[in-house]
Amino acid sequence: MTRWLPLVATLGLLLGALTLTFRAAPPGGDMADFLPRSDRAEARFLLGELQTGAATTLLLAGIEGAEPGELARLSRAVGDALRTSGNFAFVANGNQDVSEAEREQLFAYRYLLSPLTEPAIFTAPALRTKLEALLDGLGSSAAPLLRQFGFADPPGAFIALARGLIGTSSVTLREGVWFAGGEAGPRALLLARSRANGLDPVGQQTAADTIRAAFAAATPGSARLLLSGPGVFAAEAARAIRGDVEMISILSAVLIAALLLWRTRSFTMLALVGVPLAAGTLAGFLAVVAIFGSVHGAAFGFGMTMLGVAVDYPILLLTQREGTEALAATARRIWPTLRLAALAAIIGMVAMLGAGFSGLQQLAVFAAVGLLVSALVTRYLLPRLAQPFGIAARPLPDAVIALLRAMPCARIGALALIVATAFGLLAMGGPPVERDISALSPVPEAPRRLDAELRAALGAPDVGTFIVLPAADAEAALQASERAARALAPLLADGRLAGLDHPARYVPSATTQRARQAMLPGDATLREALDTARAGLPFRATAFDPFLEGVARSRTLPPLSATDLAPGSALAARIAPLLAPDAAGWHALMLPAGLTDPDALRAALAGETGALVIDLRAELSTLLGDASLRAALAAALGAALVLAMLVIGLGSVRAGLHAALPIAGALLLTIASLALLGERLNLFHLAACLLLAGIALDYSLFLRRLDASTPTAEAARTLAAVLTCMLATLLTFGLLAVCTTPVLRSIGLTVALGVVYAFLLAATLAPRSARTT
Amino acid sequence: MMRWALILLALSLPAHAAGVEDVMRGLAAVRESRAVFSETRSIPELDGALPSRGTLSWRAPDRVEKHTTEPVEERLTVEGDTLTLERRGARQVLSLDTAPEVRALVEAIRGTLAGDLPRLSTFYDVRFSETGSEWRLALYPRSVRLASAVQSIVVTGRGTQIATVETQERGGITRMSIEARP
Repeated sequence: MTRWLPLVATLGLLLGALTLTFRAAPPGGDMADFLPRSDRAEARFLLGELQTGAATTLLLAGIEGAEPGELARLSRAVGDALRTSGNFAFVANGNQDVSEAEREQLFAYRYLLSPLTEPAIFTAPALRTKLEALLDGLGSSAAPLLRQFGFADPPGAFIALARGLIGTSSVTLREGVWFAGGEAGPRALLLARSRANGLDPVGQQTAADTIRAAFAAATPGSARLLLSGPGVFAAEAARAIRGDVEMISILSAVLIAALLLWRTRSFTMLALVGVPLAAGTLAGFLAVVAIFGSVHGAAFGFGMTMLGVAVDYPILLLTQREGTEALAATARRIWPTLRLAALAAIIGMVAMLGAGFSGLQQLAVFAAVGLLVSALVTRYLLPRLAQPFGIAARPLPDAVIALLRAMPCARIGALALIVATAFGLLAMGGPPVERDISALSPVPEAPRRLDAELRAALGAPDVGTFIVLPAADAEAALQASERAARALAPLLADGRLAGLDHPARYVPSATTQRARQAMLPGDATLREALDTARAGLPFRATAFDPFLEGVARSRTLPPLSATDLAPGSALAARIAPLLAPDAAGWHALMLPAGLTDPDALRAALAGETGALVIDLRAELSTLLGDASLRAALAAALGAALVLAMLVIGLGSVRAGLHAALPIAGALLLTIASLALLGERLNLFHLAACLLLAGIALDYSLFLRRLDASTPTAEAARTLAAVLTCMLATLLTFGLLAVCTTPVLRSIGLTVALGVVYAFLLAATLAPRSARTT
Repeated sequence: MMRWALILLALSLPAHAAGVEDVMRGLAAVRESRAVFSETRSIPELDGALPSRGTLSWRAPDRVEKHTTEPVEERLTVEGDTLTLERRGARQVLSLDTAPEVRALVEAIRGTLAGDLPRLSTFYDVRFSETGSEWRLALYPRSVRLASAVQSIVVTGRGTQIATVETQERGGITRMSIEARP
């Protein structure tokens, strides 16, 4: 029993410390750490919007699976609950959104807000035309509607204003509640904007939970709630990855355990493998907390994957023992090779510090410190812990050993294959690289499709191109938006632009409102024009008194402030995403629809200094390309450092190159295989390649020690040890390759393919030994 | 004496209810009908009245068409939640949900034609009375918002035939008289 004590105590201590550390500094989830940085103004704006923009606080909900009446009831119940919850700045689900008070305010401000306001509309001839049309309309079935506004607003300024507010969504109203138009089954729609900002994952989660709770409380019966939006996405992505990872970890732990049991027939082996891994994780975690303040969840996840290399260290130690040799002696014997492998892998990670994302830097620190500590623990602590157990790997079948030792005969073929692959990749202009940022999204396909559907139904289609107008304050931003709208008017007129949304459409600048006030005629002038216009028509003299009063009142109203609207009003909801403060002041957003000639758009805006025209897809692609390039450069630098390390460690350029050859070959073959499988290379493949290089390093360094003078028994042990390492890695990453989450799939496929190539190449390119045996 | 009065009152209530239900059942049985109408609209903003005439047709469960032939041809069709107005070559389509006032006006006529008392009661306080063979439905809007636009709608008729519709709105009054056509 006493022989168990040190091992159990060490493992218990490490796991306890790990648990405490996790409690004290739980991994965070700020995705900004994984966003690249850029010096381009367009990209900077875009990244800012992705993190804190109004779009990030939007939640879209659909309710389906019942009769329309029932859906409408549910939508109303959920909407009321959300409005009273206090978690939302704005909730909209039907025509009750424009309150009576807001309608009255809009009506009072009709001549200040409406684009129709011009001196000409108040002249006798213009009024005459309107009055004749009104008289004709009063004889029609539309009379009740016309009477509502016709006498108080014969020029129709309010109707024009209201039409502009309604927008172009394909939403239909049933029983006062928004429903998605179209052939599919009825679906009630609801739109909410959370008070919590987009960077606050807890607040976003609370907002989503509030909606789910409100729906559950409304006794939904058979109806279903569909929820989408950036906040929901973040949660969804985390859940999907967690689900995949849990499944994989359990399955791969079982498979690796089975492999190790088969190789060593010892359960203790499992506990021993856990010691360096736990120590490395703890050290890496603490190092990141010490340097960065906290650990990003994703950096931790990927870091753990990279630390997978550390699982090889105890396997290499414990399975290379010679007969009854003391384990400390084994450790001493393999240490030069193990040390070089670990140092080279760490050097490779350090290069990632230059990648420019805080997330990748955290990952590099985590993996580098983790590997260092794992290697040291394997060298100095593990032999003492493992000594009492006398673990020895079973020898591999002779046939397998013979086959592996004969592999160097095929070295010409292997070299030819590597050269051919290199030329093949060159000929096809390099491997295909991912340019579509949505392919990198960790959000599974189904919720992304739902989001697109709800967005389209609510008339908020995905934005392709938009214009940003930076300004010192809100008023200046509104004025810029008015100038830009005037500059773009010709494009709207000839159809090169189907529509243009901008903040001044809803609330014009104070300057414009004052200019419109100045256009309004005086009482006497207007009365005279009206009397002339109504001559010979059957309207009574007092019929248009509300119009005269309205114009008189409009002349003295203070301009409506776009930043001072009642929170939750329809106008505030329309303008909030288009006019917002930022770090440098304010900015207005213009959203063109149906743009067919982007060059003409840019040319029309040439006079507007500071205006940014952002093509979302192109900008994101550029951003992604820049980031990939930087990561690739960091990786290349890492490769150079690793090579230098090998040359120094092995004492000659020739030996260094020889050790690096299987690694380079494995990377080359892996990239070519990915290309053949139709994969487009992305950042995750690159990260996986770094891990792969680290693993391949172990294989190459250990197998190249075998040469003609190596006794068969030792050669067999080394081959068996490396083969066990390779199988363990294959079992973990091979499973990842069947995941649905794009990130995990990329990493899994790359590493699984890579370790097989790395092992085969390392065995084949090892010094000739087969002939002498 | 008091007790007798109460008993008489109690007896008379079901009779009254039976009256409105009988009329509604009769109306509901009519699946299709056609009629001619003439209408005059007087509003305080105009001197004199605006006359018009044309035909009305009804098809259960929810289609009403008002085809005005004079003075200007116009076709107003309501089916389900959609209202279509065709006039002077222009065609306007309106979802009744976007215009609660219009819906209430439509439901007053359509609910009566359909004999759907519960439907009428969701929008209006319905008062029924009978004088001889003529019945009278007085509809008063339930919502304050609607009441500011429409003060009352009074529908009279005999048997399954509607005879007049009188609408008071914003100080104006619209009278429509209807005659069945085979």
